[in-house]
Amino acid sequence: MEKNKDILKWLNRDISDEELLRLKETEGFDTLEKIAHYASQIDTPKVNVENALAELKLKTQNKTKKGKVVAYNFNKIFKYAAVIAVLLTTSYFLLYSNDTNYTTEFAQTKTFNLPDNSEVILNANSNISYAKKEWENNRNLNLDGEAFFKVQKGKKFTVNTEIGNVTVLGTQFNVKERANYFEVKTYEGLVSVAYKDTLVKLPKGSIFKVVNGIIDTNTTFDTSEKSWLQKESNFKSTQLKFVLKEIENQFGYTITTNNINLETLYSGGFTHSDINVALQSVTIPLQLSYKIDGKTITIYTYDQ
Amino acid sequence: MTNKSLCDEIYFNEFYTSHIQSASNFAYYKSGNKNTSLDLAQEAFIKIWENCAKIDFSKAKSYLFTVVNNLFLNKVKHEKVVFEYAKNSPYLDVNNQSPEYLLEEEEFKEKLKNAIENLTEGEREVFLMNRIDGKKYREIAEMLEISQKAVEKRMSSALKKLRIKIDGI
Repeated sequence: MEKNKDILKWLNRDISDEELLRLKETEGFDTLEKIAHYASQIDTPKVNVENALAELKLKTQNKTKKGKVVAYNFNKIFKYAAVIAVLLTTSYFLLYSNDTNYTTEFAQTKTFNLPDNSEVILNANSNISYAKKEWENNRNLNLDGEAFFKVQKGKKFTVNTEIGNVTVLGTQFNVKERANYFEVKTYEGLVSVAYKDTLVKLPKGSIFKVVNGIIDTNTTFDTSEKSWLQKESNFKSTQLKFVLKEIENQFGYTITTNNINLETLYSGGFTHSDINVALQSVTIPLQLSYKIDGKTITIYTYDQ
Repeated sequence: MTNKSLCDEIYFNEFYTSHIQSASNFAYYKSGNKNTSLDLAQEAFIKIWENCAKIDFSKAKSYLFTVVNNLFLNKVKHEKVVFEYAKNSPYLDVNNQSPEYLLEEEEFKEKLKNAIENLTEGEREVFLMNRIDGKKYREIAEMLEISQKAVEKRMSSALKKLRIKIDGI
C-alpha cells in the first residue's frame, strides 16, 4: 500500500527525493517507468486553435441568423396582433365606459344634475352610478347610500338599491339605503316603492322604511321639516344603532358603545355642523354620556 | 474574475483558446476517435456560447468537460477505441540503439497501447489526462466534478490493469 501511494505521488509529481529513491528500489519499477513514459507519447489530434475558433464563430453566426428568421414567423405576428386587439378593446371599455359615477366620502355631500336636469343631492358615504348614453331611453340609476332626488317629469325614473327599487314619474323624494336599513321619503307627488314582492305607492309626506327586513309604512313626516339637505338628520322611532351609524357617516368619526342597548328607539335629529351639539342632541334625551378621543367617540350610560 | 462573463467575446475567446485543446483531448481519451473529438469539443463550446449568461465564469471549465462527456455519451456510444503513438517519439533510454532494445520497446509500446484501449472510460480519461496533459489529480477532480480520492482510485486501478496486461502477472 505504501508503494501504491508513492507511485501515485510520483505520477502526480508530488514525490520527495527519499520517496523516489525508495520507489526506484522496488520490484517492477522499470515496467512502471516505461508505462509512464510511453503512455505520455500517445498522439492526440492537435487543434489549430485559430482555425477552430473561426469555424466556431461561423457556426454560431449561422445559428443566430436562423433565430432571426424565426422572429418573423406568422405565429408571432398573430401573437402581437392578439395583444394589440386585447389592448384596444380594453382601452375602449375603460375610456368610453358607459357608466357615470359619483361618490362621496365621510362628512361630504354632492349636488349634481342628471342628463335630463333632474337634481340629485348625494349624502355622505354614498355612491351613484348610471348609464349616461342610455339615459334618454332609460332613467335608471344605482344607489348605494342616501340621496335626495328632484325628478323632472318624463319617463319612468328608477332608483335601484341592493334592498329595494323606487320608481317614479316626476317628484321629489329621498332614498336611504344603509346596512339593514332602507328608507324612502316622498316630498312631492307619488312614489312607487318595490321591496321584494311588495309594491307600495307612497304619497307626499309618508315614509317607507325597512329595518332588518321588517316593513313599516305607518310613519309620516313633515315635508317642511329640516333634513340632511339643510344639514340636519331627523329620525322617527329609529333604533339607536342607525342613528349612531348616521353620525359616523356625517362626521367621519368611529363610534364605540359601552354597555348600551342599541335597539332603543330614538326620535329627534342632529345637526351636521357641530359634532358636540349633534352628540348632545342624541345622548341627552336617552340619558347617555359621550367622550371624544381623537377620531373615536365612546358612548356610555351615566352610571358608569 | 467574478465580473468576467462568457457572453463577452473577449473572455469567451480567451476561455476557448486556453481549453479547446484539452477539451478535444478529453473527447479523444473517451472515444479513441481522432475524427470526432474536435467536433465534440466544438459542439460543447457552442453550447457554452449559447448559454453564456447562465454559466458562472469560475464554473465554466468543469461545465465544459461535463458537456463534452454528455455529448460523448449521447453520440459516440461504444466504438472501438484506437490510439496511436506520436511519430519519432523518443525511447526511454535514448542512448541505447541496439536492435534488440528497440524491438523490445516497440513490443512494449504495442502491449501498452492495447492495454490502454481496454481500460474503462473512467480509468482511461484520468490516466491520460495525467500522462498526456500533465494534469494533477486535484485539477482532474475539479474538471470532472469528482473527488480527488476518486481520481486516485481510478489511477491506481488503471495502473494495476496495465501492469497485469503487460507483465502478464
